[in-house]
Amino acid sequence: MAATYRDTPIAGTTVFTGARSRQGYRINKFAMSLTKEANRDAFRADERGYMKSCELTDAEMDLVAKRDWKGLVAAGGNIYVLIKVGGAVGQNLLQMGAQMRGQSFDEFMQTRPGKQGSAVERKQ
Amino acid sequence: MARIVGGIGCSHAPSIAHSFDRGLQKDPMWAPLYDGYAPAKAWLDKLRPDLIVAVYNDHMNRFFFDAYPTFALGVSDKHPQADEGWGKRDLPDLPGDAEFSWHMAQSLVEDEFDPTICQEMPVDHGILSILPLLTDNRWPAPLIPLAANVIQHPLPTPKRFFHLGQAIRRAVESYPKDLRVLVVSTGGMSHQLHGDRFGFMNPDWDNEFLDLLESDPQALVKLRHHDYMERGGAESVEMIMWLAMRSALGDKVRRIHRHYYAPMLTGYGLIVLEGVDA
Repeated sequence: MAATYRDTPIAGTTVFTGARSRQGYRINKFAMSLTKEANRDAFRADERGYMKSCELTDAEMDLVAKRDWKGLVAAGGNIYVLIKVGGAVGQNLLQMGAQMRGQSFDEFMQTRPGKQGSAVERKQ
Repeated sequence: MARIVGGIGCSHAPSIAHSFDRGLQKDPMWAPLYDGYAPAKAWLDKLRPDLIVAVYNDHMNRFFFDAYPTFALGVSDKHPQADEGWGKRDLPDLPGDAEFSWHMAQSLVEDEFDPTICQEMPVDHGILSILPLLTDNRWPAPLIPLAANVIQHPLPTPKRFFHLGQAIRRAVESYPKDLRVLVVSTGGMSHQLHGDRFGFMNPDWDNEFLDLLESDPQALVKLRHHDYMERGGAESVEMIMWLAMRSALGDKVRRIHRHYYAPMLTGYGLIVLEGVDA
């Protein structure tokens, strides 16, 4: 069997394939633009106006407005660029992840080994 | 002739950079990670390599999906830091070695690897987050960044990374200057950063990977991307980059140090190896 990925589903996982990249291109291009400080400022000053200039659809703009990271991934967003949107609106990856799992931030943090005092450490 | 004097495989993560910048080395959450780095740092202090070749991936900071290279080689004397979306860290530019890089470009292409050649190569946490592993304050040697696509499928196969490491070795050993070269691969280990499976980690698999990397890398070469993503989470597929470091060292290796710590979102792995020439 081929070593490259061939669309076999993995539970709870959205593999970033060419089809996804094509589907999410506008979202990802908008998110990538936020690596420039001037664009971050413009986005923060007028989120909708800035997203319109990036030619996002109304549905895509609504997902961003709702900070619906799960929805943005489903729409083809790639987490490595979505994290730049998170940064611009003051959410870190842990907060974004909690939303994707349908949990509050505190609920999610309770699942982390480092917060439970059970972090796995192995020295060899 | 230049030669490879050692290899490091280690996780990269924005969280490592974050902890370093905030001076959290003694924080209870972070101390095990930094303590785990200490023997590697001591080894590196003694080794004093002249050059570092780093196989890593960019996280949409240098490259975007408008034109995403499968492999890309930085060939400048200096690599600035990329703004990842929240401003730059207080770090000096990373030194490069244009002369060696262009030699490497030639050698790789003759070896049928065809990287995108980048005279501008801003680097992100794929390289910069391992800074605390290497040094307390500054870069110990010029670094050659070799970025790979491990984000937008189809990705290069595990076998391709194994062959890449062998090609890196040939590039090093065909360089006329007497340089002592460290090969570093960064990435992973288990983590998934999206969807219902966000936060997934698999320390057992990570440690099995470390075992096999040392003793039986062909077992890792045979796995499919699907296997890596299933066992370690979708984003952990970047572990395949470690195969380049491993194969660059030759068939047999001696382990100098190994450490693993999984407190939050990513399995932080570290392995330090030296090649044992047959």
